[in-house]
Amino acid sequence: MSYRSMTLLRFCSPIVIQARHGHRMRGKAPDIAKSLKERLAPVILDEEVAKRNDIGFPYQKPPRSAEFNKRFDHLKKQRSDSSLEKAARTTKLQINLDDVKVDWFKTAGPFHIRKIAEHYGVYDDLFGKYAYFVPRVFLDIKFPLNEDTVYPVYNGNKVHPLQAKSVPEVSFEHKFALSYSQKPEENTLWTLILTNPDGHLTKENSEYVHWMVSNIPNNDISKGDQIVPYLQPIPPKGTGYHRYIFVLYKQDKKLDLSSMKVTDLKDLEKRTFSTFDFYKNHEDSITPSGLAFFQSKWDESVRDVFHKELNMKQPIFEYDFPKAYLNYQKQFPLKQPFNLYLDRYADPKDVNKRYLEERLAKTHPFEGPEKKLQFPNAHELKKNIPSWKKTEIRKERLGRGRINDAV
Amino acid sequence: MTLPRRFPHNKQIIKRIQNTVKPEEGTKFISNRNPRNLEFLRIAEKPKGYFLDTPFSKPAYFWHKLVVTPSAKYVTAELVHHQNGVVIEASTKEWALKKQLFKTSDTSAYINLARVFANRCLECGITEMSTKPLEGPKVERFMSILRDNGLILTEPPQIDTWSDLTINRYQGKRIVPNDWKEIVEEH
Repeated sequence: MSYRSMTLLRFCSPIVIQARHGHRMRGKAPDIAKSLKERLAPVILDEEVAKRNDIGFPYQKPPRSAEFNKRFDHLKKQRSDSSLEKAARTTKLQINLDDVKVDWFKTAGPFHIRKIAEHYGVYDDLFGKYAYFVPRVFLDIKFPLNEDTVYPVYNGNKVHPLQAKSVPEVSFEHKFALSYSQKPEENTLWTLILTNPDGHLTKENSEYVHWMVSNIPNNDISKGDQIVPYLQPIPPKGTGYHRYIFVLYKQDKKLDLSSMKVTDLKDLEKRTFSTFDFYKNHEDSITPSGLAFFQSKWDESVRDVFHKELNMKQPIFEYDFPKAYLNYQKQFPLKQPFNLYLDRYADPKDVNKRYLEERLAKTHPFEGPEKKLQFPNAHELKKNIPSWKKTEIRKERLGRGRINDAV
Repeated sequence: MTLPRRFPHNKQIIKRIQNTVKPEEGTKFISNRNPRNLEFLRIAEKPKGYFLDTPFSKPAYFWHKLVVTPSAKYVTAELVHHQNGVVIEASTKEWALKKQLFKTSDTSAYINLARVFANRCLECGITEMSTKPLEGPKVERFMSILRDNGLILTEPPQIDTWSDLTINRYQGKRIVPNDWKEIVEEH
């Protein structure tokens, strides 16, 4: 018997042919077709157009020969340092973070700042989609609150409006050289702008300029021309985190920005600004070279600014969640609980109100709600109640259902 | 663009779908263009992953995740965003760190890398990130120092706002996530 079945199998196997008819939507073979990653990637039609332009100063790498020898000698000395070795082996070695920061900005720092700024969409919203710059000047910005406390600004850290109430202290290295072989310029002119691209109340895709000082000689902000006086961050309630971006431009010559001057402090509309247009107009004489930004969300000091300084009502917003898609309402929805079906098409606020009223009608003003039954569903219901009402009553007794959810 | 087969071709229906996202007529609105804002408010879409993903071994669902890659000589810590890739990084390869370290892959290198990385994350305003459980004494030390420096090594879930309208609506007591309550009170 076994022999027979064996032969039969051997006999049959070449005849089995896999045929798949009717699968016409299969697409291309896996090797030829695009992978999911490729399909989800954005389509670039013209790479030349999509390429981003660097509008800042070029990166000047120090000559490798000098740098390499210096580093090599330093590491050699480091390896023969017995106290350092002891600290490392006992895991007590604590490197100096301030020194790390100084060296970081000289080497990889500017590129890291560019990366995080791109992550926060800074270049997209300030200079349009096709421009960027790598910050070459380190901006040291601090908001003083008391004599003891200051709030620094880095690359997107969170600072409350209350903490940023007063004018920040800004300092940067004003001696500037385009390349290592060049002697650094002694006398330089700068422009510093603080803008918020997120919170314009009337015009879409526009910015409010919170502070603008131009023609800053060397490092001294107080000697520059103040075009727009400082206004603390005013992110409206309910809109979340806003970006407040400091951009430092290096000027080739003196700029005349008197047409942009803001004198009326109470008019928020006059602070409307576009970094893109500003850069476009003065492209020949300014180059962006420093960047720092922080994020801020509503706190109580914002209300005071709106009421006292700007003389207007405080705007309050709510996030507009996408509504669920509902099909056309049918006159006779079959196979659906009709009460829930109707609730879905009614205004959710009305539905909530109805359930709340229903619940409050059963609540005594002084004695509170009815006492809970020990075995709620052991009690018999009236006989002439429809089944949908019965389920609602059962849920209500158990402390469930929409009637108990209504707030 | 060709639409997938099951997508409605009826123009009226497409318009109704588009209208679910638009603000109602007559309402005043502003748009916050900060791309990270909705992630901080826990409203942004968090990738759900695909059917064949392995969510338990890899954190497949994240806005930001921490990746530590040790090599024979160096260690690198990276913060990866699900769309933008590597956003923040720190490595013992960097001259700034290497200059002060004795060795670039021993325990004290991990400790100091953690201090620098935590500092950079705080300076960039990103304090929450998802991590996968890592093994090894050095990496554990690394994680504990990140925690000491104020980073939170888990990410909160995306807020679910659809459940009221779906058929699977939770029938018991309504659950409002604690975070959402805080957010509502804060804003």
